[in-house]
This record gives sequence, structure tokens and C-alpha cells, in this order.
Amino acid sequence: MKLRLLISAAILLLLCPQARSQAIYATSSHTVTVVVSTITLVQVSSGVVGLTISGANALAGQDLMTVSNEATNLLWGINSGLKKVVVNSSVATPLFTLKLAALSPSQGTAAPQVTLSTTATDLLLNVGRSSGNCVLQYTAEALASQGTGTDAHTITFTVQNQ
Amino acid sequence: MTARLIGIILSLTAILAAVPDACAQLSVIGGNITATITTGIAGGEPVAVSNSSVTLRYRLQSAITKITVRTSCPGQRFNLGVVAAAVPQGVAAPQVTLVNGMLDVDLIVSIPLKPPSQNQNATLLYTASATFAQGNSAELGNDVHTVTYTLIDQ
Repeated sequence: MKLRLLISAAILLLLCPQARSQAIYATSSHTVTVVVSTITLVQVSSGVVGLTISGANALAGQDLMTVSNEATNLLWGINSGLKKVVVNSSVATPLFTLKLAALSPSQGTAAPQVTLSTTATDLLLNVGRSSGNCVLQYTAEALASQGTGTDAHTITFTVQNQ
Repeated sequence: MTARLIGIILSLTAILAAVPDACAQLSVIGGNITATITTGIAGGEPVAVSNSSVTLRYRLQSAITKITVRTSCPGQRFNLGVVAAAVPQGVAAPQVTLVNGMLDVDLIVSIPLKPPSQNQNATLLYTASATFAQGNSAELGNDVHTVTYTLIDQ
């Protein structure tokens, strides 16, 4: 009787997978390597900004006339550490003064307002390993005594080591 | 005599329960792979890359089975996920995020009993991604995952 019971139990174990312990049938491995290249991106939201100082910007009795533009943004994506954004203009001897400030940066720190020249000057600091944007605030200044004219700047933004 | 017979039967039972079918097979076809993230979006994030060049080959068993996945990647810095695509037998689970030291996570479940006995091939779709904040390999090194698949009773 006991023998029959034991044999029945054994057959049950053989036929019923649920009664077995969870069997591992096979394993297989391979290697997956993830490489992230150094990526450094900086981009302006629009290619052209126009600032016109007209009579509307002038006050009688005041020599300095100014106009501002906040229509464009600067965007960046940098996956290296310790980086900053500098800015320079292509115009070596402008007739009028053009200034630039980075407003409300989503990452990093804005440097003080820059008077644009051919010398690269800090615009944004501490933008390493970040992605973000800021408003570009251009301010053109002219003195009434400077007369009329046009400055066409090509503004270049560059990511540099900080 | 009876006791010896009982002993033999129980031993055979234990052996058969512990040792899976002789035809059991699971293999990764396609070897080791590298996923390289090279581009990104200013104001956004690096663009994820996918790789579907590797096949997971498996066989049906005498029990309902599943395939699980885990990874070992000490010092992991970036993101990697895998999902089984074009699964001929069984049901693909949602994409699994591969994290160093993770426990086994289901990749394909409800693999039915055999027959058929021939190999089944599913595509392994890997997706690697990173954020700008996570840095780059030149400064931090690559992530090298040893990804292990297991065919196991469900």
C-alpha cells in the first residue's frame, strides 16, 4: 500500500510541473556597451534681430537714445563639465553701442550685461552638463550727436571651458 | 528490496525534477553590441539610439516558461532599456529598464509548451539614452552591461 502511494506521488511529481521547484532551463549573456559622445550644442532661436533707433526713441534734450529687443532665445545642450558661453561680434569698430544680456537662464548663471566687441566676453557661466535656454536682451545705444548709420553685427556664441 | 526501489524512484524523480529538458536552449545571437549617442537637441536632451541587431533564440519546454533579464553594470551612468520584439511564442513584456544589480525582470512571458521543438527567434530591441546632466563617456567612461537572459518555469 505504502509502495503504491509513493509511486503515485512520484508519477504525480513527474507529470505535474507545478509540483516541481521552478526550473531554470538555460541562461545566456552578452555585453552591451553604451557610449555617450561629447555633445556641445548652442543655438539661437532666430537668425536675425533688428534694432532701429528712430525718433520714437528720442527725448528732446537727451543725447542718449536706446532701443531693446528680447525676441530671441539662446538654447544650449552641453554634457561636459565646467563650461561657459561667451559672445563676440564681428564688427571691430561699430558706429553705435550694442549690448547683450542673458535674461532668466533656466540653468547656469548670467554674467553682467556685455558690450559687444570682437573680444569674446562671458555671457553665461556654469552651464556644464546642462540643457537650458535664456532670453537674449539686445540693447542698442546711440547718441544724437553720432548721426545716422547702420551696424550689421554677426554675433557668435561659443561654449568654452570655464 | 522495497525500500531500495522506493529510494530509486524518489531519486529519479528528484533528478528529473531538477534537470530540465535535454533540448533546453536559450542563446543570444549577434554577439556583443555598442550603442553610441552622438547627437542632441539644444534646450532638450541627447537623442536616444536603438539597436535591434541581436536575436534571442529559445525553445519551448515541457512546461510553460518565461524569459527574464537582468544586468550587471558597476558604476552605471547612462540609461539602457530592452524589449523583445517580433516574439513568435509567448508574450512580450513592456520595455525593461536595465539597472545595475537589478533582480530578474520578465521579458517574455507565457511561453507555451512544446511542440514545436524548433528554435524560436525574438528580436532584442535595445534603447540607450542619456541626459546632458549625466555627462559623457570621455569624462566618465562607458557603461559596459553584462546582460543575462534566463529561461525559467513561469
